[in-house]
Amino acid sequence: MRLLLVEDNVPLADELVQGLQRQGYAIDWLADGRDAAFQAACEPYDLIILDLGLPGRPGLDVLREWRDAGLRFPVLILTARASWAERIEGLRAGADDYLAKPFHPEELFLRVQGLLRRARGLDSRAPIEVAGLRLDESRQTVWRDNEEIGLTGAEFRLLRYFMLHSNQLLSKSRLGEHLYEGDGEPDSNVLEVHVNHLRRKLGRQVIETRRGQGYCFVGLSA
Amino acid sequence: MRSIQRRLGVGLLFILLLVGVVMVNASIWLVDLGLRRYLQNGLRDEAELLLIATVRGPAGIQLDDLRLSPAYQRPLSGSYFRVDLPDQVWRSRSSWDFQLERPTRSGLQHGLVDGPGGQELLVYRADFRRFGSDLSITAAQDYRPLSLAFTQVRWLLSGIGALALLVVLLLQWLNVRAALHPLERVRLQVLQLQQGRRGRLDSEADRELAPLVEQINSLLQHTEGSLRRSRNAVGNLGHALKTPLAVLRSLLARAELDALQPLRRQMDDQLDVVEQRLARELNRARLSGEVLPGAHFECDQELPPLCDTLRMIHPHLRQLSWQAPPGLRLPWDREDLLEVLGNLLDNACKWALTQVSLSIEQDGQELLLRIEDDGPGVAEQLRSSLLARGSRLDEQVPGHGLGLAIVRDTLDAWGGTLQLGNAGLGGLRVDVRLPLPN
Repeated sequence: MRLLLVEDNVPLADELVQGLQRQGYAIDWLADGRDAAFQAACEPYDLIILDLGLPGRPGLDVLREWRDAGLRFPVLILTARASWAERIEGLRAGADDYLAKPFHPEELFLRVQGLLRRARGLDSRAPIEVAGLRLDESRQTVWRDNEEIGLTGAEFRLLRYFMLHSNQLLSKSRLGEHLYEGDGEPDSNVLEVHVNHLRRKLGRQVIETRRGQGYCFVGLSA
Repeated sequence: MRSIQRRLGVGLLFILLLVGVVMVNASIWLVDLGLRRYLQNGLRDEAELLLIATVRGPAGIQLDDLRLSPAYQRPLSGSYFRVDLPDQVWRSRSSWDFQLERPTRSGLQHGLVDGPGGQELLVYRADFRRFGSDLSITAAQDYRPLSLAFTQVRWLLSGIGALALLVVLLLQWLNVRAALHPLERVRLQVLQLQQGRRGRLDSEADRELAPLVEQINSLLQHTEGSLRRSRNAVGNLGHALKTPLAVLRSLLARAELDALQPLRRQMDDQLDVVEQRLARELNRARLSGEVLPGAHFECDQELPPLCDTLRMIHPHLRQLSWQAPPGLRLPWDREDLLEVLGNLLDNACKWALTQVSLSIEQDGQELLLRIEDDGPGVAEQLRSSLLARGSRLDEQVPGHGLGLAIVRDTLDAWGGTLQLGNAGLGGLRVDVRLPLPN
């Protein structure tokens, strides 16, 4: 999953970027509202974490612009101004969730997880469970029946994306766009290697290859 | 209480009374004077007639009765004369046993002389010389009927004057009331100002009131400005500290500190203290700033978006309902009340299984906000500790204790109370009672 963090406080952004990367997200960071307005419109982000007090342009303005332009990605507002009146205003502008500073990083990670599940039409509180596999996002492992299977960071990222988009045809370029930061797109061989690792750990039938088109995650039930 | 109306009324009463008394007396005095002058002519004519009636008879100088007015013959008729000759005095028959004194000087006498039978006489003396001897003729006429008439007129005028005075006072009262009406309008506007239904006074006041209204408006502006500045100062400081706090929290979560759990926990606790303190002081700064009214809370306008927001934050809820009398307007600051309702509803939503309900009703001079959920509820013995400042029943649900502390600060400022009970839905019921400001 690829996230955009828009936050002008450098120390906080540093910490959040590292924390979110440890959670297995590809994350881009911007500090200016004008840059954010532009970049979010061209890159395929799965979620945006938006601070409201931004240099350049106020966060709420940027958010309204995105929504007016029909961009539907989930937006989590991060702000020191956390009264209910401001929260209502933020959600009215099109935000999907609201987190007040200061917060526990854990809380932010949980909200991000929840929002991503919700955006895919899943229960935001329950772990991702698809066709006999259950993903444990905090431990970055996957459960098959009662067996816990360990994953590397790259495998976990890939599997999470597959499980959130099960039974969908995913091209290699789309996977690359959503799993790696702005300029860090790997060549398709790396992706193939990770897919094969997953197949070895979970069973060959879990991920189908469609020649010339990409992959499709079908899980154990197929 | 001192009253402008009464002061103006009393002032006008004295002025009109003074003017009225002076006018009545002056006019009567003038008429009296004119009348006496007129009567003086009549008396002089009488004296001259008496002189003509003085003839030389067989026994010397005598009065020719035939030439005299019959009024001098009839006793106590009101017309009298006295003719003083060097050696004798003639008096009119009408004098009867009354002695008309000869005035000391000639002409019309000042004042009236007491006459017979309560009469008051106007007396005129003229001196002549006839048949070689000095004559002094004194004619008198009863002035009493006229005096009586004057008294009557005086009473009549006083009555009419008093009546006119009453009418004038009544008109003045109405007039003053009408003139003070703009003041009443300004008073109503100040009241609306206090109730938060307007931000400033209408500057289109009457010319006399315009300076007052302008002063009040500029005072409002001044107060508002300094209030905003001090509120902003506290707010900016508080909000500026929040980002570094968030950084500290993130740093504490780093893997390097995994080996130092006790240290991490202690620092976390201290950060909690700082954070709660900050949130509460920010809330208090806003509350103590309630000298000027902000917008009030219109239930129909504010509750739907609040509920939408809560539904978005808590998507597991199946039902989040509210009911309030249509058009109900709560006379407290909109943001503060949103904060109270938001925190309480948020708590209820965190604990609820499927539904939360909010009802707002007016109960006499009190407003009752009731929030119910169908969650696990709180055991009775734990309720008091839940209400203790800043405590949390469940560390897993963040911000629980803090939200309640902020609600309690706000309720304290408004003189409201908070009670916990069993909800009809099965979970916790929170009753907030707020006394309506007058």
